[in-house]
Amino acid sequence: MELTDADLVARVLLDDDHHAFAELVRRHQSTVRGLLRQLTRTDVALADDLAQETFLRAYKHIRSFRGEARFSTWLYRIAYNCFREDARRRKELVGIDEAKWQAEQDPQTVDPALRHDLMQALQTLPLHERSAVLLCCQNGLSHDEAARVLDIPLGTVKTNVLRGREKLKRALAAWESK
Amino acid sequence: MDGQLQEDSLDARLRDEAPYLDDAGFTATVVQRLPQKRASSKFRATVLILVTILGSALAYVLSGGGRFIIEGIARIGSLSLLSVGLLALCSALVAMAVAGAAAWSKAR
Repeated sequence: MELTDADLVARVLLDDDHHAFAELVRRHQSTVRGLLRQLTRTDVALADDLAQETFLRAYKHIRSFRGEARFSTWLYRIAYNCFREDARRRKELVGIDEAKWQAEQDPQTVDPALRHDLMQALQTLPLHERSAVLLCCQNGLSHDEAARVLDIPLGTVKTNVLRGREKLKRALAAWESK
Repeated sequence: MDGQLQEDSLDARLRDEAPYLDDAGFTATVVQRLPQKRASSKFRATVLILVTILGSALAYVLSGGGRFIIEGIARIGSLSLLSVGLLALCSALVAMAVAGAAAWSKAR
């Protein structure tokens, strides 16, 4: 039987079990790295550095995970904080490494032109709308969970998701009619 | 209804834009950077208890059967009320400083 995230966290807390923590990293690395890639405007190297920092912080502060939220939600919050701190340090959001990012994507899943347009549309969203859309629409968090991750009121998350979605729909309107 | 469909298809497209990222050594790099394992809590507790027992036994033997405690109590008893009050105040301040430092280091 596969252990749940809570079981693995308990093992880390009890025995400082590196294997259990490695399993948690394996389970969540894809979503955390994916989210950070989108937030950093597809700067793969920076996103992976921030993802490493996220997991190291998670390990260091694992005692503060009380199981009230899902482990992934807790991780997203740390990832978002890492991203914000880094962006503040750099005083500007990083540049686009889109060619490298595109090369790593699975070319079979979506029409490349549609993907390109969607990516472009996502990147034009302001950070607060992009973060809310990524967490709720792409990563499946509830509005409540996203509010906790982003540390903003629930109503603001709903507004940001709504506005972000509207902008994306408008940007992709040409594809809807095809 | 049409709006809901559009919303669902938009979410589906966004999810398609987040394909599974191959680990490619990521987990191994993170695990390598983890701090060294702490000694197990059971082991630490055992060592702590043993050292406490040994220290107490040593202090008991070296102090001639704990006579210093009785002498200390007698000495405090002979102090003036003001001296005892000052001693109590100093002890309280030291305890507060230690507790404050512990709380600060935990909050960091």
